[in-house]
Amino acid sequence: MAAVVELDRISKSYEKKIAVKDLSLRIEAGTMFGLLGPNGSGKTSSIRMMVGITMPDSGSVQLLGKPFDRESLKRVGYLPEERGLYKKMKVMDQLIFMGELRGLDKGTAGRRAHNWCERLQILEASDKKTEELSKGMQQKIQFISTLMHDPDLIIMDEPFSGLDPVNATLLQDTLIDLKNAGKAILFSTHRMDQVEKLCDAICLISSGHAVLSGGMREVKSRYERDRVILQYEGENSFLQHPAIAEFKDYAGYVEIRLKPHADAQSLLREAAQKATIYRFELVEPSLEEIFIQTVGEKVDA
Amino acid sequence: MRDILLIAKREYLEQVKGKAFKVTTILIPVIFAAIIGISIFASRNSGSGKHIVVASNDAPLAARVQEKLLTDKNAHLTVDVLAPAADSDRRQLIAKIDQKQIDGFLWLTTDANAGNAKATYVARSSGDFATESRLSDAVDHAIVQQRLSSHGIAAGDIDALTKGVKIETEQVKNGKEVGSSTLGSFFAAYIMAFLLTFTVMMYGMNVGRSVIQEKTSRIFEVMLSTVKPTDMLAGKLVGIGAVGLTQLAIWAAAALLFSSTALAASLMSGGLKIQISPAEIGLFAVYFLLGYALYSTLFAGLAATCESEQELQQYAPLAAVPVWLSFSMITFIVSNPNSFWSVAISLFPPCAPIAMFLRIASQFPPLWQIALSLALLLISVWIVVWFSSRIYRIGILMYGKRATLPEMLKWLRYS
Repeated sequence: MAAVVELDRISKSYEKKIAVKDLSLRIEAGTMFGLLGPNGSGKTSSIRMMVGITMPDSGSVQLLGKPFDRESLKRVGYLPEERGLYKKMKVMDQLIFMGELRGLDKGTAGRRAHNWCERLQILEASDKKTEELSKGMQQKIQFISTLMHDPDLIIMDEPFSGLDPVNATLLQDTLIDLKNAGKAILFSTHRMDQVEKLCDAICLISSGHAVLSGGMREVKSRYERDRVILQYEGENSFLQHPAIAEFKDYAGYVEIRLKPHADAQSLLREAAQKATIYRFELVEPSLEEIFIQTVGEKVDA
Repeated sequence: MRDILLIAKREYLEQVKGKAFKVTTILIPVIFAAIIGISIFASRNSGSGKHIVVASNDAPLAARVQEKLLTDKNAHLTVDVLAPAADSDRRQLIAKIDQKQIDGFLWLTTDANAGNAKATYVARSSGDFATESRLSDAVDHAIVQQRLSSHGIAAGDIDALTKGVKIETEQVKNGKEVGSSTLGSFFAAYIMAFLLTFTVMMYGMNVGRSVIQEKTSRIFEVMLSTVKPTDMLAGKLVGIGAVGLTQLAIWAAAALLFSSTALAASLMSGGLKIQISPAEIGLFAVYFLLGYALYSTLFAGLAATCESEQELQQYAPLAAVPVWLSFSMITFIVSNPNSFWSVAISLFPPCAPIAMFLRIASQFPPLWQIALSLALLLISVWIVVWFSSRIYRIGILMYGKRATLPEMLKWLRYS
């Protein structure tokens, strides 16, 4: 199956700064793809090249199985990080206008806008001017305008920033529904918890380079389960075990980091001999930890 | 093409429904009427309400001058007579002027039979042309009457003999004489040129503002992922241009309606006949469209390179120089429509819409000149559109970072 998006070693530099360097990635239909990275790492620059707002200096962009072509953009929905709506326009007019621009006729655009407003619970605002609405509401409207033409590829730059938890969940669920309907979804974020929950594949970029990419399981499996959470009662001399690199003991609740390639099982055996163990959990590193480990401690995320 | 129309329609509806459109549609004619009213009122009343003294060694002559001055109702002069006057009186009068008791005095000396009269007007202010011309008129009149009287002609005959003739002006249009007043055609030109300046500038700036608003609200980023930048710009120009035409049409219709009312009839009876032909209206529309196209694309290109509306506004006066240049030449062009400078400025594209229009209003220029000015205007519109649309494409995306030349060239190739 052809990839919906395929970037092949694209590079882009501005006057002094290299924004993106030799970035390659593939997004399949029916998957959710997370583009991660600290601020200023090149996420937005990469996305802009995917939607033809800027052109790569070198490398190629393929959309929907074809080399980049403006026609393909009619099947792409793009939500930029910087939100932009016509402030003076009524919500419904704005949605219909966006739909028409993407090739829908007025009737279809109106029906779809109505359905989407209903689904995202903003129907009561549809007759108001955009400038009268809250930031969160505006964001939902922009979210809808991205999806009006039922695009096969949905690209969202920081879609959840500035939303309250209820609305963020509403949009997340919507994206999952779209994914299950076979759409390819790419979103960029620096919120690791969302990525961990939602994404099938990720690409982590730092200073314009892809430092980590692949399927979520696969990426995670590359990192050792080197952390242990342990709850016990009794003596704690097992904490001197050679496998332990460092630990924090909170009176019966211990967080342990193991030395590389250490044997966790032998630690469990020793602990069981010396104390009563209520819980022994070998935890896989969170994406956040992987992120910090990979990019370094100086992350502005 | 569909995209251009959609964008134009959106822009048009937003602006026509907007408050600014309603306010300017009503306010501009009101301001115009006020400006014209004030200038007419001021010109009628200039040099009026003054207190002057007519001093002469010839008392009957002085009385005639006084009588003549007082017949001019608009002047509201207070005229005292001091006759016969001696040199010591002159010093006293100068002292009175100094103490601001009077505004000035006319020193009139004659020898016998009112021959060889000599008149001097001494006043606090110089350059009071209106009073000077009134005085000169009155003195001439009085002396003629005095001389006629000394030849033994009866008082009634003197009035009949010296009755003035008011000059009426007619203009030759299409080989026919058309009754017109110079004031009327001047006002027609003045109003239309002012209107043209105003609308071209207003709507040109409007396009610039609209571009910068899309740039600062980042909406273009959504738009550019669907629409070509040139389509975006074209749609904007068409939409806002249509708003301008709508406003002009509303004003034209209102003017037509107004001219059929009684109030207009009473104003027109005052000798102020304003002649506007259909050809002038057609050319007005053409010059508006071309002038608008030139200035709006200029402003659009300029706006794309700016970061904020404030920054754009700093450039605006610079771009408006040609408009004000042609505007400042209004009086010159209207009184010398065929002089070298009038022709030159009416062919120079940035000034052409306004300058040529002034010439059309005062005297229809040779057709080849109109054709040439339109052709030159079209060519320069084309050039400005070419540059502006390219600057627009690149500039609109560049916030914070400046585009390099190779990047611009790349952009030219891609879109």
